[in-house]
Amino acid sequence: MTHPIRIGMLSFAHLHADSYASCLQQIPDVVLVGIYDDDPARGQDRAARFGTDYFSDADALLNQGLDGVIVCAENARHRRLTEQAAGRVKAILCEKPIATTLADGQAMIRRCRETGTRLQIAFPVRFSPAIQELKQTLDAGTLGTIHSAKCTNHGSMPGGWFTDRELAGGGAVMDHTVHVIDLLRWFWGTEVVEVYAEVGQELLHPGLGIDDAGLLSFRLSNGVYGTLDTSWSRPPSYPTWGDVKIEVLGERGLVRVDAFSQHLQVSSDLTGKTSWVGWGSNIDLGLIRDFVAMIQEDRAPSITGEDGLKALEVALAAYESARRGEPVALPLED
Amino acid sequence: MPKRIGIVGAGSIAQIHMDRWSRMPDVELAGYYDIDESAAQRAADRFGGQVYPSLEALLDDVEAVDICTTATAHREPVLAALEAGIPAVVEKPLSRHLADCEAIVDAQARTGTPLFVAHVVRFFPQFAQAKAVVESGAIGQPGVIRTVRGGSAPGGGGWGSQATARSYYGDFEKSGGVILDVGIHDIDFQRWCCGEVERVFARGLMFAGKEPKDHALIALRFASGAIGHIEASWAYPPGRFRTRLEIAGDKGIVEWDSLAPAPVQAILQGEDDPMDVQSRTSSPTAPEDDPFYAELAHFVRAVDQGRSPQVSAYDGLMAVKIALGAIESERQGKPIAIQP
Repeated sequence: MTHPIRIGMLSFAHLHADSYASCLQQIPDVVLVGIYDDDPARGQDRAARFGTDYFSDADALLNQGLDGVIVCAENARHRRLTEQAAGRVKAILCEKPIATTLADGQAMIRRCRETGTRLQIAFPVRFSPAIQELKQTLDAGTLGTIHSAKCTNHGSMPGGWFTDRELAGGGAVMDHTVHVIDLLRWFWGTEVVEVYAEVGQELLHPGLGIDDAGLLSFRLSNGVYGTLDTSWSRPPSYPTWGDVKIEVLGERGLVRVDAFSQHLQVSSDLTGKTSWVGWGSNIDLGLIRDFVAMIQEDRAPSITGEDGLKALEVALAAYESARRGEPVALPLED
Repeated sequence: MPKRIGIVGAGSIAQIHMDRWSRMPDVELAGYYDIDESAAQRAADRFGGQVYPSLEALLDDVEAVDICTTATAHREPVLAALEAGIPAVVEKPLSRHLADCEAIVDAQARTGTPLFVAHVVRFFPQFAQAKAVVESGAIGQPGVIRTVRGGSAPGGGGWGSQATARSYYGDFEKSGGVILDVGIHDIDFQRWCCGEVERVFARGLMFAGKEPKDHALIALRFASGAIGHIEASWAYPPGRFRTRLEIAGDKGIVEWDSLAPAPVQAILQGEDDPMDVQSRTSSPTAPEDDPFYAELAHFVRAVDQGRSPQVSAYDGLMAVKIALGAIESERQGKPIAIQP
């Protein structure tokens, strides 16, 4: 018998932490040892909900003999917690985006490399069965030469620290650039070489104080061009939180993927609206299983810190393009 | 040590079950028994394990058994497994005949051997999620539930085109026609969501002499007062299989239709002939969310943890009783009362 994998969670600031904790509970031989959170009320609430201990001090949790930690702090706080955990756990799963600046992301990768800590970035959409089927179609070359990828990662305006420039590093463009860019880099083993972006400041939410709409036009090193809409354009009255949609056009056809289209439609007088309730496979479970398996098998992460850094760089380039009003080449100058 | 599973009846549904068992960790397909020994041999060639000369030999050698014989041939192997204390999966319907179902329910209660009736629709993620929505209270008390399960006739060119499939499903004395083979899925699902059924009324093609085509429109009345409608079809044009559900309550409604756009849609042109355009759609899920995998994994987990599997022998009996009531209603043109 292998010993149970001991996981700690560092902060529940990002709402994905709730889902990751619930996934940990569904995996055999995994123990959620404890939760650190700088917000005691939130940390105690989640510790009670997930039947584990609350730690007001991250070091105290890190002293519990953990195999891995999951970092779901505000984007700007990923670095501090990752550096604190590096060398004291075998593996770190860090919520996306990796950080708010390239310097922070690079420092995290460096510290993990120096301490022999495996760093994985949370890009769960890679575990969507529909997205995986698209990747298989692309790998098979069925579409011939690829022309373009037209993409959306719409969302609802999340509020809270997501609209705080210091903590989030940006608004909708920072929040919703990295998932799809990661997928495109993964599909083709390619990099974004140029970005042009139109960014909307409080376009849909007057007074928000940060960007809530974005349209990126990019070119990849393999010649594919495309667009990505990152807008928080789904109002509270909309039936779902948002989407991930990718349409790949090649010389011999077109594949459309709507990663979250598997849903029931539920109209309820209790909420006064019609909502979509997903029945598709839980992509977060795929991600967390992969993270746990990485620890068990002592292997390299399937999604690396460099993957996180490259995706972040595209978001930063998009803001730079909007500032300059012209396309920006990547990689960015340090 | 992997759990050793035996398969009794290596026919059509068994092919799906054996494939899922073969993918499951901590499980081993120990072997097969079939009155047609060549069917058992083909299974052994494909999935490994041995061919057993008798049901008894199989039961002596396995830790759990999956009974996939035809609905007319469930009684003997299920009773033998229960008496031998071997936890068993039995394919739906629990039996073609009510007396068999009652004997199985009695034997299960007396022996306490775990028995799981494979009403797989409860494990389709859409249907499981709809049940969860009902349980959450989001739609209030269910009032009107409607489901559709329709395809073409087995052996009619749509699916199961082998002559054996045609002769079995098309022989309503054996298969019970579309109501007992297909409609029973929805009968069990609706009963799961809305509770016990008081009466059933049905019209259809069962006695219209159109075998293997069959079709039924079934009305249910539940003890709760709720009303159910089921369409079960073996009369649709080939290639147009469709399922649908809606459950309306006093606080809301939940709906799903298999005709909803699939998450993957591909339009592909031929390499040599650009006018040769093929379209395909798919709605993939993770392997463990496949409903057949999920139901068998549920059975293994329940047995390991000493819990009752989710679909009991009694659930299986009641589904058959309601289905037979629907057939009887179709025959008599009258509503049939269902006794619990």
